This record gives sequence, C-alpha cells and structure tokens, in this order.
Amino acid sequence: MKTINFAIDLGTTNSLIAKYDDGNIKIYNNPLGLKQTLPSCIAFRGNRTVIGDKALDYLEKDAENICMLFKRKMGTQDTYYVPSIEKEMSPIELSSLILKELKNFVNDEETMNSVVITIPASFDTIQSNATKKAGYMAGFKEVVLLQEPIAACLAFANTSNVEVTDKQNWIVYDFGGGTFDVALVEVNDRELRVTDNLGDNYLGGADFDNLIVEKLIVPFIEEKLSLINLWKDLKSKTTDFKGLYFELLKIAEEAKKELSHYEETEIELDIDINDENFYETFIIKREQFEDLISPKVEQTIIFIQDVIKNNQLLNSQIARVVLIGGSTYVPLIKKRISEAIEVEVNSSIDPTSAVVLGAAYYAGSKPATVTEVERVSDIVEEDTINFKLFYEQNTRDLEELITGKINAKEVRSFRIMRKDGGYDSGVKALDDGDFSEFVPLLEGRLNQFKIQLLNSALDVLKTLDSVAINQGSYNVQGQPLPNDICMEIDDLDASTTRLEKVFAKGSILPLKKKIYKTASKTILQQSKSNLIINIIEGNARGLPSSGLSIGYIEISGKDLEEDLIKGTDIEIELEVTESRDLKINVFLQACDQEFKNVFSESERAISIHKINMEINTVLGDVEALIKTNNSEENFEYSQQLETIRVGLIETQIATSLINDDDVSDAKFQLDDKKRKLIQRFDDLTRNKLIAKEIEEYNDSKESVEYQLNEEGNERFQEKYTRIIKNEREVINSGNKYLIRSKIKELDELYYSIIKSSDENFITYFYNLKFCTDFSDQRRADKLFKEGDKALEKKDYKSLRHIVYGLSALLPDQEKEKQKNFKDDSRTGLS
Amino acid sequence: MTEIINQVFALDLKMKKQNNDSANRYLERIYHEFEAMGFQIVNPIGQTYRNEMTDVEANILGDLNRKSKITKVLKPVIYQIENNETRLLQKGIVIVE
Repeated sequence: MKTINFAIDLGTTNSLIAKYDDGNIKIYNNPLGLKQTLPSCIAFRGNRTVIGDKALDYLEKDAENICMLFKRKMGTQDTYYVPSIEKEMSPIELSSLILKELKNFVNDEETMNSVVITIPASFDTIQSNATKKAGYMAGFKEVVLLQEPIAACLAFANTSNVEVTDKQNWIVYDFGGGTFDVALVEVNDRELRVTDNLGDNYLGGADFDNLIVEKLIVPFIEEKLSLINLWKDLKSKTTDFKGLYFELLKIAEEAKKELSHYEETEIELDIDINDENFYETFIIKREQFEDLISPKVEQTIIFIQDVIKNNQLLNSQIARVVLIGGSTYVPLIKKRISEAIEVEVNSSIDPTSAVVLGAAYYAGSKPATVTEVERVSDIVEEDTINFKLFYEQNTRDLEELITGKINAKEVRSFRIMRKDGGYDSGVKALDDGDFSEFVPLLEGRLNQFKIQLLNSALDVLKTLDSVAINQGSYNVQGQPLPNDICMEIDDLDASTTRLEKVFAKGSILPLKKKIYKTASKTILQQSKSNLIINIIEGNARGLPSSGLSIGYIEISGKDLEEDLIKGTDIEIELEVTESRDLKINVFLQACDQEFKNVFSESERAISIHKINMEINTVLGDVEALIKTNNSEENFEYSQQLETIRVGLIETQIATSLINDDDVSDAKFQLDDKKRKLIQRFDDLTRNKLIAKEIEEYNDSKESVEYQLNEEGNERFQEKYTRIIKNEREVINSGNKYLIRSKIKELDELYYSIIKSSDENFITYFYNLKFCTDFSDQRRADKLFKEGDKALEKKDYKSLRHIVYGLSALLPDQEKEKQKNFKDDSRTGLS
Repeated sequence: MTEIINQVFALDLKMKKQNNDSANRYLERIYHEFEAMGFQIVNPIGQTYRNEMTDVEANILGDLNRKSKITKVLKPVIYQIENNETRLLQKGIVIVE
C-alpha cells in the first residue's frame, strides 16, 4: 500500500514541507535559504515573479504589487489586483504559487501526486475547499486536509510516546510571529477531534520586538542624547535615522532570544545618529522584559480561559497544554499558563515545525488513492523542448551572462538558481523565446547553476542541471605558470626536507598567497643556526634539490632581535608578479620582525653552502641504493646510479673551490649541474619508491580490513570508510608524502582497533618473543615469565600491561632516525 | 562556528572604524584559518544590491532601484565548502540604501 507521505503546513506568514519516510520525518530546507520556512509572500515585478524571503524586499517600495497574508482571505471573493501584471489574483491562485514553490524544495526523484495540507481549526467548508483547489492547481492529484491543532497533537503524541486510554481534553496554544490561536482538542485512544477554537489574527511575537525598541532602547538613547520623539521619527518614512529602526529591531530580536535562556542580556549599541557615532551598553533583565510583554501574554491567557469556559469545562479537566509557534520560546508564557490553568504545559516539540511534523506523520499513515500513471506523457513532453545555452565557462569577472534560446511554445518563463543558494533570478518571462541574465559568481569557486523552464501556469517543464562557471581560474590574457612553485619545508617524520606546493602549474599570474608555518627548531640570538626560506620552481612531487631555486633567504641568529622559539608562528607571504618577480615577505611572530626580499629571475640567489648540503644528503641515498642493488645483483641499475654518484662528487669538489661571494657565473653552472643530476636520480627512483609506498599502503589496508571482520569491531567501519574515501586520488597523485600520510592514518586506526580489546595483545606478546634487541634483557625475561603466567590465567588485562612494558624496552627507531636529521640540513620550517 | 566568525567580523569592523590597524595581521590570520577550515566569508559592503541575491537578508531604506547599494553589513555572508561543494551557511544581514 502506498501512503501519501508528503505534508505541507500552508501558513499565514510561513509555510513548510515535510515527508514521512519509514518512521522518520524529513522537513525540507529551502534550497535558496537556510531555513525550513518559506515566507508566504509573493512579489509581482512585471515580467518577474518572486516568491518567499526575497519578495519581502519590495514591501516598502512596491507594496501594491506584493501579496501576503492571503490565507486570511481564503474562501472569500476578495481578489488582489496586481498593477504590475494588470491582473486580479485570487487567494487560491496565490496559495497555489506557494505550494508550487514548496514542491521545489523536494529533490527526490518520485513525483508528488498526493499531499496533506494543514488548515486552521477555524476554516469553514468553503475555506477548506478553497485550500483543496489551490492544491489541485499546484499540480497535486489528491489533497487531504488536516487541522493544524490536530497536527500539533500528533507531533506531540508521536514524539513523546504518551498513552491515552480514556477521553482527554488538550489545549493547543499556537503563538506565532504574527498570529495567535488556541484550540481545544478531544483525544481518546484512537481519535483526535477539535471541539473549539479562538484566536487573534493581529497578535504575535513581532509585537515583543517592537516593545523592546519602543520602551527600553529608544528611551535609553533619548536620555543619553537629549532627543525627543525618537520612536516616532524612527518609523517615519521621511526619517533622518535611516535604517536605524531595522538595526534596533534586530538588536531587540537577539535580546529577546537571549532572555529566553538567560536572566539578563547586554544591549550593545554602536550606531550612527545625526552623523555621530553613539556607543553605549546597558543591561536588560528578564524581569523588565516580562513586565513589558505581560499585558500581551495575559491577553492570550484570557483566550484559553474563554475556550475552557465556553465548553463548560473546568481547568482540572484539561490534561495538558501543547505549545507551538515561535513565540512560545519565551519562558514567561509557559510559566503563566501553568499558573493560570494549573496543568502540565508541554514545550517539548519544536514550535515552528510541529504542525508540518504532525501532518507528515498523518500523511505516512494515510493511503494514497492516486497512483503514478501519467509519467509517460510527461516524458514525451519534456523531450520536445529544444534549447540552446550560451555562457562563458571560465571567467575572472564576478558576473557572467547566461543566454538561452528556447524552441518550444509551451515554455513561457525561466528561473536560474545558483546551487550553493546564493542567487535566484525568480521566475521571469521569456522574451520572444529567449532569455539573457547576468548571474553573480562566488569568487574562486566552480559556480553551478540550475535552470528551470516553466509554462504559463508556472509548472516546471524541464530542469537544466549542467551549467557551471569557473570563477578566477583561467583567463586567456593572463600568463600561466610553467611549473609548480613550491617551498622547501622539513619533513620531521622522514627526517628530510620536502616540497610543499604554493602555486600550481598553470595558475595565472599574478599570484599572491600567505602561508603560515611554525618554527621546527629554536634559533637563539647570535647563534649560527638559521632559518631557510627556499622557493623552488619545479615538480612539487620531486626532491627539493631537483628543482630550480628562485628565491632563497637565510635568516640566522645574528639577524634576530629576539630568540626564535620552536613552535612559534612564521608568516610567509609569497607574490609572483606578472613580470615574474618573486617577492617574499617573512614575518616572525615571536620576534615581531619582518624580512622583505624581491627576486627577479635574472638575479638568482644561490648559496654554495646550500648546494653542498643538498649534494651530501642525496649522495648518502645514492650510495645506500648502490649497495642494495649490488647485493641484489642489479648491476645495470647500480651502474646508472654510479654515474650520478660520480657526477655529484665532481660537482661537490668544484663547489669547494669557489667562494660564496664569487661573482662569476660558476656557481650557477654548478647549481644547474647539481639539479640535473638530482632530477635524474629522482626519475630513476621515484616510481620504485612510490610502488613501495603503495605496497605498504595495501598491506596496512589489509591488516585493518582483517581486524574489521572480527566480531565487535564494526564500529570502526565508519572511520575506515572515511580514510579510504579518496584512496584513488591519493594513489594516483604519485605523491609519496600523501600516500605516507594515508598509511599513517590506517596504522593509527589499526592500533586503536587492537587497543580496544585486551585479547588482541596475545599475538603481540608472542611476536615480541622473537625480538632480541631489548635494552634490558633481564627485565624482559622477567616480563615474559609474568606474561606466560597471565596467559595461563587468561588474565589479558595484565598481559596488555606486560606488552606495553616490553615494548618500552625496545629501541625507538623513529627517535633514532630523527636524531640523525642534522640541524644544518633543516629549513627550520614545518 | 558561524557565531565565532560573526564575532571576529564584528571585531574587525570595530577596529577598522577606529582606524586601528595594529591587529590586522592577526585578524587576517584568523580569516585564513577559517578559510582552511572550508569557510568562505564574503563582506558585500559597497556592492550594488540586487533582489536576486539570495545570500543576504536586506533591510531596504527608501526605494529599491538599480543604484541601491549595500551600505552596512551587520553579519557577513558565510559559505561552507565540503567535498568541493559550496553551500550557503549563513545569509548576510545588510542595510541597503
């Protein structure tokens, strides 16, 4: 059996849509806002129709073309004359537009044929039928109505598991932003029925905000600035206090929210009055606020009492009061109701979405009588729409033109929305079958758009989903970078230095970026230790010494005004101008010192010391590799390595013969030679290294997977999935540091799985028995004995501690390795 | 998180209003960290306001026309970038004249 599932709260000021899905309710968000609510407001701007939040923009300027609060007119013959389109709009037509817009919130693939729509308890048959008609006009084939107080009771009953066996009376107290309603609902074991209701269409939470401004904020400002009549002036159309009223209302709204949670709140005024800045703060206590709104709250209490009295009931016959509507967050309301009626007051459900929530529960239980049969004809219609779109795919501008030519008579209007929610053209009429629209772009992002084509009744006939404009990434006039530009930084884990990409190959000049690093070593004033900023042009995946150094700064202890302490921040600003000048600006936070340098390619800065250091590092690696390859009888490969080794030694000897202040181009030649040799070494070894890393990655992955299959480890699955999510990307990157960091993540997960159960330490214990290099063998022997005993007794908790003890006796290889990472081969950046 | 960003933004405005740029470096650094965490913060001050901009809540003074500009930003626009998808996290609150 298929149920209706979809529910709409078609409200006077705000509307919502929700879906029942297998016991859960999903309330849809407006794709163009962040809220679940859609203001029930429509603006007609000639050939453009705007629905929801943005329609409110025109409230002041163009009130006659704005339609709102039309729910109050449902079922009457009143219509709204809209001058801009020279048309009478009935409340039914207007409501159907709101319903269509709500349908837009739902992205699900299924069609919505049936829906539950809520109506106030006060609606008569004609008003109810009008609502149904609006539903059909919006394209629904089946509309089921549900009274709002019933929906609220359902929401409450379904979320709090109350058991009702006998007949009970509940009160639903609905205090919204602009309206107030109270309903008496009869509840028995299986049925809910509204027996009576009362309300005031002009009483709401917005009144509270106005009171705070009028009675608290304005008098405060008047007193401080010796002003009079400020409240009147604020609201006047020809005011000198432009915008101040809105600003103060916002402050008041915030204060109201704060006072719902705290005993007092501080009002901070930082405003401009008569061209002068006015800055003051003052405290509002909850008491003051409550005194202020108390008369309004009392008005609502009288409504409750009346509804009870009118039905010949006593307060004691009311089982509970359910609160809904945004204004019921105010604690005074709950307090006053329980004092006045002396019954349980429930505020456990979210007051803004309670109605749609309850309606969705109802929709989930109500069988749909309409099945999907007309889908086929829809598709045929869709395919007959021919269109062409024109737009720039890449741009540096912050605005681009999208032009469309539509070849289908039934398409009358279009609508463009930016998928991130930042732009909506509203529904606009086509101009002779075409449209042209400037759309704003978000800087530096891929801006994706959705374009809807609609018929004259504003039904969506086709949605174009593939329009994307890339802002800032490409420009034909600009000059692209031929290579990555990187910075050399320390890789403490691998005890070496590596490259970090700053600007990617192909980026368009000019480029500028700030990088934040921390000092990886302490440099004392006057010491010889130094900090190295080495900017390299070359492949970011390669060894630092294989790239071309295009900017090099050494900051030594002599240059410092204060000690540079390990761990403090270093700010490096890099700029490559259109003419390829490199500007480096280094700021040491700990010393509050700035170093500026400009390099241009024609005056390369090279340090002999640095060349030597780099050769030394690579030479060690080359020699070690030759040794292993010789022992594996890989002679051809080691011969190639040998050539590199000889070349490096020759270069080193040559550098030792010139001084750092040598003015000839000798050192540039040597640097070039060094780079070529290292690049060759890099090429020879990179693939091997990466293959090795990938192999290790797969090993680590396998171990984790094995553990995940064990019972009780399912909870680690989610983390594992997260780690391997971008696996393909990482492996294909060919970047060993990236792969290494993934291995590290996997290993960490492996250890946390192991550590989650004491029994996992058994294997560990056995493995440790094969180790021979304990720092204290006698102590190890003793621990092994204790371990065997623990195993016998199946005391795995003790075994775990013994394993920890044994591990501590093994040499720490990482630490040893880092000790060998000599200070003078480090950049000092990590 | 949006609350933290709003407070930093307010602090930034306040410092600028007092022509105090001594803390610019630190504010920039904070913005950089926000960006690294996937937040794109937009201050639309001075932009021409169009009703189509659904990323701001505008309080409009007088008549809305083609020349209407955003003259005051009470809260910035915040976008969040996750898995290379951008979505609006907070609408800016602005005054348009």
